[in-house]
Amino acid sequence: MRDGVKLAHRGVPTVALVTEKFWAQGDFVARSAGLPDIPRVQLPHPVAGSGAVRMAEVAEQISEAILRAWAGTHD
Amino acid sequence: MTDPTLLEAADETRALEQLHELGCTDGLPVVIPTEVRVERMVLASGWPADMVLGAMGPNLGACSVAKLAACAVMAGCLPDHMPVVVAAAKAVLDPTFDLTEMQATTHATAPLVIVHGPVRNWCGVSGSFGALGPGHRANASIGRALRLAMINIGGGRAGTSDMALLGHPGKFTMCLAEDEESSPFPPLHTARGMNADQSAVTVIGAEAPQSVMGVLDADDPTSGDRLLESLAIGFKSMTTNNAALRSGQAVVALNPDHAQALAALGHDRDSIAEAIMARSVVTGADLATTAAAMAPPVPDRVYRCFKDPSDVLVMVAGGGGLYSVVFPTWCAGPHRNRAVTVEVEVGQACELPETTG
Repeated sequence: MRDGVKLAHRGVPTVALVTEKFWAQGDFVARSAGLPDIPRVQLPHPVAGSGAVRMAEVAEQISEAILRAWAGTHD
Repeated sequence: MTDPTLLEAADETRALEQLHELGCTDGLPVVIPTEVRVERMVLASGWPADMVLGAMGPNLGACSVAKLAACAVMAGCLPDHMPVVVAAAKAVLDPTFDLTEMQATTHATAPLVIVHGPVRNWCGVSGSFGALGPGHRANASIGRALRLAMINIGGGRAGTSDMALLGHPGKFTMCLAEDEESSPFPPLHTARGMNADQSAVTVIGAEAPQSVMGVLDADDPTSGDRLLESLAIGFKSMTTNNAALRSGQAVVALNPDHAQALAALGHDRDSIAEAIMARSVVTGADLATTAAAMAPPVPDRVYRCFKDPSDVLVMVAGGGGLYSVVFPTWCAGPHRNRAVTVEVEVGQACELPETTG
């Protein structure tokens, strides 16, 4: 999340990807870093180390949400 | 009560429950930081209450002397401890300490506060038997004050901003002195830019201490080397981030007997650090069998756990006997969570009024 906020502050269109177990921490960091409304998309947990097949499944599940968040049309 | 930033409670019992409910404690009872108690602690610091030492992450809360004093009161500090608490806070606020990232990491790391110089004796910080265990008020309360600051000013709370998967007991408090009087070497802080007669703290993000047995034999000229090898195993074990990630730092706390024995064999602090660094190596094969996912290793290559001997902080502490201690570290963050040494500014304190509550 902090990396996402740093990118956004540089003017780079950013969507933070946060796993469900780090969702509350993501909210905290977004608030403390001064960008509480940064677009974010929730991922299942864990993603790291879950294997290429699972990664591809997750990417398939969230790609539309990322694009919607990027476009500012997310819920 | 006119100050909207102050909490109110009918009595201290209710005040304690209120602080627990607000998540302002470490789970243990605290001394209620009344205005009078905090004002005394501020006076003991010698600095203005509203002076800000820095932004404490991950919340980036303004670490003022008054807020820090409140944490010191809650931790049970005496006024004499306050200059040490201020120095410890300055250390973790140094950008190279990477506090924001350290508070948020999933790793099991906590600030180890090492107190150097004359202030050790003025405050009663122990560097002897059981210095990291119960029974030493200054050790317990100074380290705890820093933790309470990290909770209440830095905003580190388990599961939402402090993401340590399990943590370790040193996250309550982890503070000790170097036993300079029992050491055959110049004090550690002289290797970190200070004079021996200065008071200082060194703070480093550390895992829980790991005991290292060393049975020395004055008739066996190899026993010193065996001790150094045993100490290095504490870092090159693939269970540590020092081996898996490398390029970090670490602490070796030699007990006085081990320190004296190594000195008798001709060692000084630098040569001990160099010897441990030289032995703290892992092979590409070691990495391939355990930590390959972090960085694909070159099979035939040898990887050093430390970049420089000064990354191995050698101190003397604990009772004399068979066991010394090593503290592996996290080894991550933008600056690799560097150890920071800060002078303890004593002599700044104002005269304290009589205790009234």
